[in-house]
Amino acid sequence: MTQVFLEDVRKYYTLGGQEIRALDGVSLKIEAGEFVAIIGPSGSGKSTLMHLLGCLDTPTSGRIEICGHDVAKADANQLADIRNREIGFVFQSFNLLPRLNVVENVEVPMIYTGAPASVRRARARELVEKVGLGERMKNRPTQLSGGQCQRVAIARALVNDPKIVFGDEPTGNLDSHTGELILHMFTELNAAGRTVVLVTHDPEVAAVTHRVIEIRDGKIRREYDPRKTRGAAS
Amino acid sequence: MNPLISFETGVREILSHKFRSFLSMLGIMLGVSSLVATLALTSGIERGTRQFMEQMGGLEMVRIIDKDISSEMLDFWNLSPGRTLQDAYAIQESVPLVAYVAPEFDEGMPVSAGDRTMRVRVRGVWPEYVAATDSKIAFGRAIADLDVQRATRAAAIGSSVAATLWPGVPPEKVLGQTIFLKQVPFEVVGIFELYERESDRKARERERSASRAPNTTQRRWDPFRWKNEAVIIPLSTMFYEFQSGLFPDDSLETVRLRDFTVRVSNLDLFREALGQMKATLMATHRGVDDFEFETREDWFDNMNASIRATRTSGGLIAAISLVVGGIGIANIMLASITERVREIGIRLAVGAKARDIFLQIIIESVSIAILGGILGVLAGLGLIALLNVVAPSDNTPFVTVGSILLSVAFAALAGVISGIYPAFKASRLDPIQALRYE
Repeated sequence: MTQVFLEDVRKYYTLGGQEIRALDGVSLKIEAGEFVAIIGPSGSGKSTLMHLLGCLDTPTSGRIEICGHDVAKADANQLADIRNREIGFVFQSFNLLPRLNVVENVEVPMIYTGAPASVRRARARELVEKVGLGERMKNRPTQLSGGQCQRVAIARALVNDPKIVFGDEPTGNLDSHTGELILHMFTELNAAGRTVVLVTHDPEVAAVTHRVIEIRDGKIRREYDPRKTRGAAS
Repeated sequence: MNPLISFETGVREILSHKFRSFLSMLGIMLGVSSLVATLALTSGIERGTRQFMEQMGGLEMVRIIDKDISSEMLDFWNLSPGRTLQDAYAIQESVPLVAYVAPEFDEGMPVSAGDRTMRVRVRGVWPEYVAATDSKIAFGRAIADLDVQRATRAAAIGSSVAATLWPGVPPEKVLGQTIFLKQVPFEVVGIFELYERESDRKARERERSASRAPNTTQRRWDPFRWKNEAVIIPLSTMFYEFQSGLFPDDSLETVRLRDFTVRVSNLDLFREALGQMKATLMATHRGVDDFEFETREDWFDNMNASIRATRTSGGLIAAISLVVGGIGIANIMLASITERVREIGIRLAVGAKARDIFLQIIIESVSIAILGGILGVLAGLGLIALLNVVAPSDNTPFVTVGSILLSVAFAALAGVISGIYPAFKASRLDPIQALRYE
């Protein structure tokens, strides 16, 4: 089943009177259960692609379908619903709410589905246990290490049981050992059947995925399976 | 999103910034406390005034007084007999809207008992006098019809008269004693109840509990003095004993009355009652317009106007404080959302809609305002208690549940209004920009 479908997607900005073609005709298909890396240097347009895939933004032209929803035609409320139910986000800088504790942070997306407090609490606790932070439920993000924060973020991304999990440089702020552990969690998520899309500039991160899409100057430069062409990419 | 959850989020936000929230509540607190205090003060004044009006005999009391005749009528002046008992009979007969008619002769004279003497205005009255002035007899009886018919030497006296002539003697022992009016002995048959303002009563109670020595040096203007220092005797007795010599050509029926009060039976028909009286008296006065009615409407209207003025100015002060408080909240909320752009971005990224963010900010500001309002109510109650101790006034401030609810409602309204702009601003944030914000 196709979960992500892009056809000739363009995103243009005007910055200081100058038109910037952040994405210049991207077509892409991601099937359910794929493990994909979008790779490219900074300025390549991969962040823009990520925002479009994550329904945080709409394209200038082209067609985007995420889990069957026509994103280009959706209004702000519909985009919010897609982000809420179909997509989980994991960010480079964790983006946890500093004044909420671990369980409360994980609950946040469920708040916006309207789930009752008891259901939220139970589900959040279950996920916090699952990512191995059962001891730290009542801690604030500032009391956690980077790796622990990112595990909370993963639990939060999963709380509404989304079909796709996006990671935006999820290991960028972590040391290499912790980064490996987090990557391992993404691998496991994918093994459990969830579609995982990682955006990164790091070839080592891309190497653990099953499909690498390389972006440069707003266009897809090439695509390969790192399992088959190991070594060729670097 | 469930508003309750927004409330939970809002309250958590307030608690995590206790001092900042308190500062932003301060304006609302001041507004609400001054509103509560103003409402309490004015309702105290209102209640005091109403009591005072009732004790003074109420609006229903109308005095009939002499009026200068207009110059073109001057020649007919002799035609009118003036205000006499005939007027009283006529009103009794033909003005059904008047409940009580109280003609009177009065004269200032020395009143003595034993070796004590005081000067009071002695009134010769009909039995209706008591009802017409809305007075009450506390001990004994009032002047009766039989007293008037037989011109007995019976007197009903005010409580201060009893207290002055027989200091320390309980009122019931004063009944049956003899007082001398200009050396003429009268029997005390009744004593009026004590009339006093609330503040005087409280002062008296305080003195009684403190020293038992009545404080008579501090004498203020007492609106009830005429009631407390009353000495009433039958109208006929008054005339025959003291005044017939002054008017040798007149009989009791033709002599001019000194004072003439009536009590209207129904305030709704006040105008009509005055009209009926006017028509009746024009007949007895043979068409000479030499009388007029002294009502208390103007007086009471003035009191009501001053109550309204107090309420308006107090309300204005409170309104200004509430506006200032609201601006304070708006300011803090704006600062708070600028500080929380990233938080809002995160919430948007994980699925919050613009209206969820809007609601969250509004609920935060309303929560601050209501909390400030509740603290303000408490502060206002404290303020009133303090005022009562520091400057006890004639009219004790009086807090009503309605005024408290009203004040808190105004606070909530200020919260809603001051939250709208910050909430709108927050809900318009772009998630990508907000997430990048440092």
